[in-house]
Amino acid sequence: MNALISRFADSGPAIHVAPAGVFHLGGVAISNSVLYGWIAGLIITTFLVIVARKVTVRPKGGAMQFIEAGADFISGLVENAFDDRKRGRKYVPFFVTLFFFILLNNWFGLIPGVGEAFHRGDNPLLRPFTADLNGTFAMGIVTMIYVYASSIRESGGLKRYFAHFFVGSPLNPLYFIIGILEMLTDLTRVFSLSLRLFLNVTIGEIVIAVFSYLGHVAAPLTALPFTLVELFIGALQAYIFTVLSVMYLAIAVNHAGHHADEVEDIDAHVLTPEPTAHSKSPKGSTA
Amino acid sequence: MDLFAAAASTAVLGKGLMIGLGFIGPAIGIGLIGGNYLSAVGRNPEAAKFFGQALVFVAIVELFGLLAFASTFIVK
Repeated sequence: MNALISRFADSGPAIHVAPAGVFHLGGVAISNSVLYGWIAGLIITTFLVIVARKVTVRPKGGAMQFIEAGADFISGLVENAFDDRKRGRKYVPFFVTLFFFILLNNWFGLIPGVGEAFHRGDNPLLRPFTADLNGTFAMGIVTMIYVYASSIRESGGLKRYFAHFFVGSPLNPLYFIIGILEMLTDLTRVFSLSLRLFLNVTIGEIVIAVFSYLGHVAAPLTALPFTLVELFIGALQAYIFTVLSVMYLAIAVNHAGHHADEVEDIDAHVLTPEPTAHSKSPKGSTA
Repeated sequence: MDLFAAAASTAVLGKGLMIGLGFIGPAIGIGLIGGNYLSAVGRNPEAAKFFGQALVFVAIVELFGLLAFASTFIVK
């Protein structure tokens, strides 16, 4: 009995959460996710360049239609997020690229043969790029640097950019603390973006590994429904990553547009106290 | 006791509890979001265009469940 239970506890589906080095290149260990990221990046670039060359006014169908629909969807989404559609238009290329990179990387991870199929030593040879925290963290950092740089440029200078964190004058201690907290919340976005993508893809890999282990001989049958669910989740996570980063940018840019005139008279606010609610509405005391 | 020590160590129990309890909250939250979205669509079919926003909130809620899952790797 004891031996039976411990055997069940010991043997299980092979699960890898962290990437592992596959080979060395000039003293730097290249992990399996980086290797597959390169392969996927090469394929994605080639594919998208070919598609971009073939774009015509009249839609042709096939794989091109899929890319066109996706690009159209994301560009509509980016433009509608901004108050001024023309202002949003110049951010479209980055976010469309981001969307397709994440989407196709998620889907390339579901191709049979990626993951536990081929091993080099103890480690799988290929691993989806988005199932590696280093990869998604890099994507999150690049996205947030782009978002910060664009919002600083749109608000017209560092001083104005930082001013939009404060509801009122930063000299008021309450507003000051709220503003600092707001800045810290802003910094956690890198982690939440990258962790969400990484964990979703990794959990998908684990679920597929578990169900193909449970299925034993009928592994393709048991793993198929979860692979289909993962197809959907991969698209959903690409969409969510894009939408959230668009929203972070749009909030800062739209805010900067509204506050552009108010920033100058921050000092004036401090010197002349605002009329309080009491002096404005004497009705309040009677009610 | 030997049997339990072999198969179910406290770390395994802890991981199971972490995953189980940690997924309750997001499950309730996503249920609330989905239910409220559907009732909003039922009252006003125009609201169906906010499905994308509902998905964004699902993603925000879901993150906390994923954090519980990620923390299980810290438990040794």
